[in-house]
Amino acid sequence: MWAQVINAILGIWLMAAAAILGYADDKTITNNEHILGPVIASFAIISWWEATRVVRLYNVPLGLWLLLAPWVLGFDNTAATVNSTLVGALVTGLSFVKGKIEDSYGGGWSAVWKSDTLHAREASRQPRVDLDK
Amino acid sequence: MSKEKGIPPGWSYNPASWGQRMPIVIAAMVGFAIATYLALFQLKVIDTVWEPFFGNGSQKILTSKTSQLLPIPDAALGAIGYLVDALAGIIGGTRRWRTMPWIVIAFGLAVGPLGFISVLLVVLQPVLYDAWCTLCLVTALISVVMIGPAMDEMLASLQYMKRVKDAKVSMWKAFWGYKEVQGRVI
Repeated sequence: MWAQVINAILGIWLMAAAAILGYADDKTITNNEHILGPVIASFAIISWWEATRVVRLYNVPLGLWLLLAPWVLGFDNTAATVNSTLVGALVTGLSFVKGKIEDSYGGGWSAVWKSDTLHAREASRQPRVDLDK
Repeated sequence: MSKEKGIPPGWSYNPASWGQRMPIVIAAMVGFAIATYLALFQLKVIDTVWEPFFGNGSQKILTSKTSQLLPIPDAALGAIGYLVDALAGIIGGTRRWRTMPWIVIAFGLAVGPLGFISVLLVVLQPVLYDAWCTLCLVTALISVVMIGPAMDEMLASLQYMKRVKDAKVSMWKAFWGYKEVQGRVI
């Protein structure tokens, strides 16, 4: 989970970076960071919980975009370029950190459509009595 | 064991227990209170809005074109959303993931779009209006934080519906929690 806490902070940092690093006048760079920041932070926060930990992977393409953005969008500001590549690399790397999963979830999301899953096997083992409450 | 505690098969805990649900309900109530306050400003019931960091940012955002896209101000819609989340979080007992899947799934579906719209509005603040609104950011954070903990319960209900389907019991009746299908599937 720590990795996703850092990613959430990085997302919030992107929202403030332009004002702090002094390139807020450049609309292209600033808009890029203001769009990606909240989205990265949201995906990271959603993946704090074990049942939705998989959402952390949605940040992989967003991190890769930050890595490439200075060249695709043609940044002409060194601080912004360094910031975007650095944050992009960190977000991408940290998105792959799954962390500990301590509880069990009946086989997870794929168990909603697959057969022979943990929840189905466990359910067939339990006696069906007095469940009418 | 799962009969007493309501733990879904293959799970290590019950996602519908009050300990799991109360924090979400409380978060939704806080979101409701803040959104109501912002809506009162938008409806001109109160003249000023609390803004500690961004000067006239809140004022700019709350009176922007985006906030008036719909017949009622966006914070009022947000308040309704939080109220629906709070109600959907509180209705039903600790076995509701199988006794009333409809409310659990409605709850999960209500939490999702509210979070999505909140994040969208956060993006629009600086991009379209070059301003930030502190309390709008707080409500957005609340709605994002609610998504994760609401989803585990929905997962338990969806897995239950899958077992209902595999057992060839009426999914319609199980979804709405008809008495006659209760207990036919664990």
